[in-house]
Amino acid sequence: MTELNIADPTNTSVPVLSVSGLTKKFPGVLALDDVSIEVRSGEVLAIIGENGAGKSTLIKMLAGVYKPDGGTIAINGEVQNYASPADALKAGTKVVFQEIALIPEFTVAENIFLESHLITRIGTIDWPEIRRRARDIFERAGFALDPDAKVGDLSISQQQLVEISRALAHDAKLVIMDEPTSSLTPLEVRHLFEVIERLKSLGIAIIYVSHKLEEIFEISDRCTILRDGKWISTQPTSSHTNDSLIKDMVGRSIDDLFPRSERKFGDTVVQVDGLYTHNRLDNISFNVRAGEVLGFFGLMGAGRTELAKAIVGYDPISAGSIKINGNLLSPHSTIKSKSLGLGLLSEDRKEEGLMMDANVTRNMTLSALQKFTRGGFVNAAAETKTAQSFVDRFRIKLAKLGQPIRTLSGGNQQKVLLSRWLMYGLEVIVLDEPTRGIDVGAKTEIFALIDELASQGLAVILMTSEMPELLGLSDRICVLAEGKITATFETSNVTQEEILDAAIQ
Amino acid sequence: MPATESIKQITNPIKKILTSEVGFLVLSLLALIIGISSFSEQFLSAPNAVAILHQSSLVLIVAIGMTVLLISGEVDISVGANLAFSSCVVMAVINQTDSIALGALAGIAFGTSVGFINAFVTTVLKVNSLIGTIAMMMMLKGGVFLFTREAIQNHHQLPLFPKIATGFVLGIPVPALIASIVAIIGWVIMTRTKAGRLFLATGANQKATRLSGYSPERVKFAAFLLTGALTGLAAVILASLINAGQPTAGGGFELIVIAAVLLGGTSLMGGRGTILGTIFGVLILKIVDNGIILLRLNQDYQIIFPGIVLILALYMDQKRRGTTND
Amino acid sequence: MTFKNLIRGTISGIALSACLAASTAFAAEMPKKVGYITNYATHEWYQNVIKGMEDRAAQLGFEIEVIDANLDMAKQVSAAEDFMARNIDVLIITPVNEEGVVPILRRAKANGVPVVLEGNPAKGMDVLVAICDYDTGYHAGVASGEYLAAKGGDSARVMNVGLPLLSATILRSNGFMDGIRTIIPGAELTHDLDGAGSADRSQEVASAALAVDANINVIYGINDSSALGGLQAWRAAGLSEDELLVVGTGGEGLAFMNEMAKNGPLQLEAAMFPEKVGFTAIDAAVSMFNGEDLPEHIVSPTTTFDTASLSDYYVLTSDTTRQIQWDAVNALVAPASCMKYASDL
Repeated sequence: MTELNIADPTNTSVPVLSVSGLTKKFPGVLALDDVSIEVRSGEVLAIIGENGAGKSTLIKMLAGVYKPDGGTIAINGEVQNYASPADALKAGTKVVFQEIALIPEFTVAENIFLESHLITRIGTIDWPEIRRRARDIFERAGFALDPDAKVGDLSISQQQLVEISRALAHDAKLVIMDEPTSSLTPLEVRHLFEVIERLKSLGIAIIYVSHKLEEIFEISDRCTILRDGKWISTQPTSSHTNDSLIKDMVGRSIDDLFPRSERKFGDTVVQVDGLYTHNRLDNISFNVRAGEVLGFFGLMGAGRTELAKAIVGYDPISAGSIKINGNLLSPHSTIKSKSLGLGLLSEDRKEEGLMMDANVTRNMTLSALQKFTRGGFVNAAAETKTAQSFVDRFRIKLAKLGQPIRTLSGGNQQKVLLSRWLMYGLEVIVLDEPTRGIDVGAKTEIFALIDELASQGLAVILMTSEMPELLGLSDRICVLAEGKITATFETSNVTQEEILDAAIQ
Repeated sequence: MPATESIKQITNPIKKILTSEVGFLVLSLLALIIGISSFSEQFLSAPNAVAILHQSSLVLIVAIGMTVLLISGEVDISVGANLAFSSCVVMAVINQTDSIALGALAGIAFGTSVGFINAFVTTVLKVNSLIGTIAMMMMLKGGVFLFTREAIQNHHQLPLFPKIATGFVLGIPVPALIASIVAIIGWVIMTRTKAGRLFLATGANQKATRLSGYSPERVKFAAFLLTGALTGLAAVILASLINAGQPTAGGGFELIVIAAVLLGGTSLMGGRGTILGTIFGVLILKIVDNGIILLRLNQDYQIIFPGIVLILALYMDQKRRGTTND
Repeated sequence: MTFKNLIRGTISGIALSACLAASTAFAAEMPKKVGYITNYATHEWYQNVIKGMEDRAAQLGFEIEVIDANLDMAKQVSAAEDFMARNIDVLIITPVNEEGVVPILRRAKANGVPVVLEGNPAKGMDVLVAICDYDTGYHAGVASGEYLAAKGGDSARVMNVGLPLLSATILRSNGFMDGIRTIIPGAELTHDLDGAGSADRSQEVASAALAVDANINVIYGINDSSALGGLQAWRAAGLSEDELLVVGTGGEGLAFMNEMAKNGPLQLEAAMFPEKVGFTAIDAAVSMFNGEDLPEHIVSPTTTFDTASLSDYYVLTSDTTRQIQWDAVNALVAPASCMKYASDL
């Protein structure tokens, strides 16, 4: 069981995974339509596509969660017929899902051998043997993990290593990683890539699913693109360019991901001085002019979201002042900030933005309700008319305004939330990770929208951990590290390295 | 409603009715009416209709407040104890002042101040409202005995007072009229006003509501006050109905009210619910009550049935929410 | 219960009770201090019992001290100990429950303190002062039958707003039906309800019953709250009050007097005179103090009166107080023993 499958990477005669003509139907949708792929030993195959392209359906069939409606899955040439995820694991397929499924109260070693308890001769669990085998795996794979540490105390990236160790303990031939970097810091991403290289050298075949194109270029050997459940292409990654990938993904060419119109800066609108919060922010001062996009970059935990929530009056501050057009934000509440023309688009759409069961109109008009209210009564006709005008203007894709917002795609949901503030009419908008979890196609539209708003004179404060977004949209950049502003740059004369340097210190 | 909607309705009417909350309730109500009337001929009589309306009134008045409160994401378990205490206050004040208006005002004011304390405990002290209002229920149940051990009898003998509960206008019992007015106002608030939108928004997503520049605390405060005031109003009717302030009245009242509201499709987690659904929820519970008596079943089923309904309503709520989390 | 058979068997010659007790009391030596431990002083019934005791004690020229057990057996025991420690002459007790009072009786016997029980019997007691539940209901039933017959009625359909948990209240209801059938043999018990003795529950169950069948002409309540709760249900159903007869039981407070003053459906009241119960208990206490031989069960008289004769027994002295008319009440003759006891159920 602990014997790692060290195959000769040059032996490419039989693919580890060979999928042919895989099809899956759901009521009303053909989720996956005749898809064929192959992955060889020691190879990383990237699978990319927009949300709804069929990536998760494909992974769930490979993991034995869904049963295919047509086509075959073969491991090392043997056709598999999974009845459950346990069968897929037995056949050598291990999926590391986005949300890690470990038991936080158990130790690392316990989690690794969760499905296969080793039993002593007298029927008790053989802890010494379990620990020994766990250590053995870490040594071979080069992981710096303590078998006795509690999983709940580990970072996300260490927990991923535990998941991967589980794969090795089960003699996995194929490891599938689903958006593995979505909650990792750049440094942790580096570590993960080293682990992947190590797995490759052990002869394991890897399927890597990600939204992030830079990662695809860096880590994958070949790349399969899916769109609307159909296979579009499989090519060596090196033969792709950024544009060709996006073009294959969205089905149309995108000339420029980050359009930038002429921006004219007006007077200073936002003036933040010496801001402190009791748990994170440390002497934050900055200002933003009308028509300017000020980008805040920082790693996980640097204080981006904390800053966003503090300036709009959502979270309390312990010292400092926030002024909008010279008016002090006092009392420190969202009611006051809204009246001064300051609003936040939260990074967490589901938890802090959307009313999931409510319809599109209700979600869109929440902030601007007063505009349609006379004597306490809401004029529903005027409300619907205005909502429709925003749907048209931002090309929000929906069947009707009365449909629940949860039925919309992430990109369209985000456009509704942006409309919520634009309908109210802000002077300053704070955008916290505005394109998180959104398709490339919709991202481009949101970028264009932000650019348009700035050119119309809105002051924009952009919080982001995505370098291209930061560089593509911002006029100036503030770098946050551990709650402090460590550097401020003009976007026109800064490099990624300088920014990262400031972020890591 | 757009044309596509009506086409769908024609193509799949049964599914449409079953998945639409009010449609399901209307069907259940019809099934009950047909079922009970086939066993008992008195069921469809005018006096029985009056009896059902009468018995629905008290529950409906408080259920309107409870609907708004549950939609805002909070709950009030103290309404039963509040009802009993307020009814004693009503009678005591009328005995003292010989004024029905002052007594009614005092009862409503007492109910409202209980709502105020519940609101304070929930929104300022941040105590979970389920626990906070259970504590309030205990205080009221004990407190009412400090106020009076015995039923407070009618010493004023004002001829108009009993008419609040037992009078009829155009053949409709006065309490049913009062309940209808309360329900209509509740319906207008929830469907037509900004306040209604904010109740829904606060329950659906408190953080989003705050980020949109509103105070969810203020919204919840209003919902607690409304529930307390309506409980005080119901207490005026109750005092008139039994012609006394009864400190032991209202036992289990809160459970019937909450069961009716949840049955009407309001979510225990907030953010979803309708006044219309609550009206149907109350009617269904009370018609079942009436049916149990008409069919001469054991009266203990009157408590068992709402218990079953609670589980069913919560199960349906969870199923609806389950579909939203995909 | 064999114990209750015992009471019944030993009762003898109490026809004299009230008058006899009164006359002996005047001739006898008076105790200096009598203690009364009541069950539940906030109830109007007990308030009126206490009032009767105070009136009678004042007449006889001694003091009575009252402690409220407030439905708490432990409090009753400690109150008894307190009284005995202060060398009280006679103790009157309304037991919180029948078992709990037994050790008090044993202790009192050991200390030589005579004890009079009020309301409920207990093992080891010497004397009990109580009304007859069955008889009270029976006479109210007879009076109801006569009332209906006088109005030319020959049928009675009764809604009994009862309390089937207690033997005393079952006796009242049974007595009422037996009594009314002596005049109208076909009298029918259309609804037999459990109103829990409270107005709100009585109103609720009566409403439900009326929804099933409102064709009744008599509402009998085992106490005033039950009768009035039933009447409120009738009114809430919007039914005509012209042909309805409501019969209350107890007459402990003002609610029934206010209702009777309207000369509406509440025409008959089976009065139990709590003041008279207190009065009789004081006389029994005086007799005990003088070591006289008393029957084990002294019956306190009850009677049924109508709206016209109400004022013979009670008059309102203000909005919230009433005065018992002692002459009329003392003229009532109590039976030697009850027609039926709980043991007959």
